[in-house]
Amino acid sequence: MKRPHRKYEIRCPIHGFIEINDWERAIIDEPAFQRLRRIRQLAWTDHIYPGAMHTRFEHSLGVMHTASMLYDAIVKNSLEVLRSELSYNEDGLRRDRQLVRLAALLHDVGHGPFSHAAEELLPHRDERAEKYKHEQYSAAIVRWKLAAVIEGHDLNANYGFLAEDVAALLEGSSKAKQGLFWRDLVDGQMDADRMDYLLRDSYHAGVQYGRFDLHRVINTVCAIRPAGEENGGAPRLGVLEGGVHGAEGLVLARYFMFTQVYFHKTRVAFDVHLRHALKEILPGGVFPKPTATELDCYLAWDDWRVLGLIAQGEGGEHGRRLGRRDHFRNIYHTPEVTERADLSKLEEIKKAIGPLLAAEESATKSWYKTDKADIPVFGQAGKLAPLSSFSSVLANLKMNNQVLLYAKPEDAGAARKKVDEVLKKS
Amino acid sequence: MTIQVDARTPLIAYLAEHTPAKWIGRTALMKYCYFLQTLRMVPLGYNFSLYSYGPFDSAVLSDLGEAEALGMITETPLPTGYGYKIKNALSDEDMQELAGRFLKEHKADVDWVIEEFGGGATSDLELDSTIIYVDREEREAGRKLSMEDLTHRVREVKPRFPESTIRKHVEALSDKELLLAIES
Repeated sequence: MKRPHRKYEIRCPIHGFIEINDWERAIIDEPAFQRLRRIRQLAWTDHIYPGAMHTRFEHSLGVMHTASMLYDAIVKNSLEVLRSELSYNEDGLRRDRQLVRLAALLHDVGHGPFSHAAEELLPHRDERAEKYKHEQYSAAIVRWKLAAVIEGHDLNANYGFLAEDVAALLEGSSKAKQGLFWRDLVDGQMDADRMDYLLRDSYHAGVQYGRFDLHRVINTVCAIRPAGEENGGAPRLGVLEGGVHGAEGLVLARYFMFTQVYFHKTRVAFDVHLRHALKEILPGGVFPKPTATELDCYLAWDDWRVLGLIAQGEGGEHGRRLGRRDHFRNIYHTPEVTERADLSKLEEIKKAIGPLLAAEESATKSWYKTDKADIPVFGQAGKLAPLSSFSSVLANLKMNNQVLLYAKPEDAGAARKKVDEVLKKS
Repeated sequence: MTIQVDARTPLIAYLAEHTPAKWIGRTALMKYCYFLQTLRMVPLGYNFSLYSYGPFDSAVLSDLGEAEALGMITETPLPTGYGYKIKNALSDEDMQELAGRFLKEHKADVDWVIEEFGGGATSDLELDSTIIYVDREEREAGRKLSMEDLTHRVREVKPRFPESTIRKHVEALSDKELLLAIES
């Protein structure tokens, strides 16, 4: 007997129980989603923080759960804005809540092996300078691999969704219509993705840096319509003034996680090796494109397959280094906030090191890089201001643009000596 | 010693210096970069996607952060409301050193964007960039559409703009031959 209205609960170390409906369970059971169990959230970070073995699978469930809490809070705090600016009625809000849940659940289904570490090997789009992003793979998988389960489930009789509706929200297409407003919940500065990964990565890595007051942020999140000459006036996400310190905590959590975990010097070295090993392993050095003809080939790539190939010696010198933990050594780093004078010194050091320089990695190129994003705050008497106007800490927080230099372990001693010579001279 | 920076960061300083407005804000910066890449095919390497406030890529804000850290621009919040003033902090000599090679190749494109879109209201930039985004989506899909259809599609994304306003912008962009999917 079919039981389309049955609910299920999944235990989560971050959120307690995550409730899913029968439709979402059917999507989760699909091979394209189950593949996320074989893609680690933080690549080789467990070689620095041994607990960081978690996968995109549990993160995706957490993002759906967090997005739902955010959605409900925005509707509660900003019903008038949603009605007047985006013409929502109750049916529209009920419909888009489910749409946001599906988009949040599926936002990472397009990740390649070892998550962001592999993203640099996504191919270029035809005749364009920009490369594909994993979000475009997620949208393609929704369109071509999950359409039947999204469109065909009995519960969809209540919504009439096409797979295209979910894909449009994920990739930012005009076909998402006024529902694009909710895209900030899936991919924005106050998104459920960020809120979940900070808490989850922190938990599994065994650090406290990513913790913030999730429920305070959720309680105060709202839809606002910024006015004034600098703004186009489109509604966007913000927080009520009572949430200033919650939001401040979110921004600082990201900052600390970047310096302590995501841009940890040894973690970055493992990303370098993985990237090079994958280049050796992949036909043509890049992943297949997110097209109907190449998508199956892409989906066949996961951590297990890459690890197997590295174990067989297919990853070249870098694969060998990964297997033996014989990673490049950090020999010099610029300050976390690097100024032009620091870059000038960096050039001198690079010149002195010469061929001993094995890799150069910049925080600004990292997938976890921080940016100048700022959260609008809806203050007293309807006054709008950026979060940094309420927080002297954030007002003075500059972006981390640190540069790390590496040498092979066997060259590290000689390279460090050359670095010291330059530093002593200056 | 000459330092190496991505041309995208001094470009922000150049845009801030040459905008006809009193200053450049984040929305205008985002849309200028979108126009440069989409209308003039300047290979900036951004990956724009559509939000309710128009085409956006957080990498532009990262570049803004780096430009500030490297002392190329200053950014201060507006005294009232939600927004920022971005101002150039580079001397002409430094601008030439950091962006000279990029500007030699693309100065005409950058100046064209400033000439065409500088000085307009931010809401106009948001609307124009959204119209162009929808037009390019259709073009990429190999479809043609009428001005009425394009107006309707944009209004579905931005219901707060009156249809007549959107139509006026579609016509203006079409007259300048900046739309590629409109039926002739």
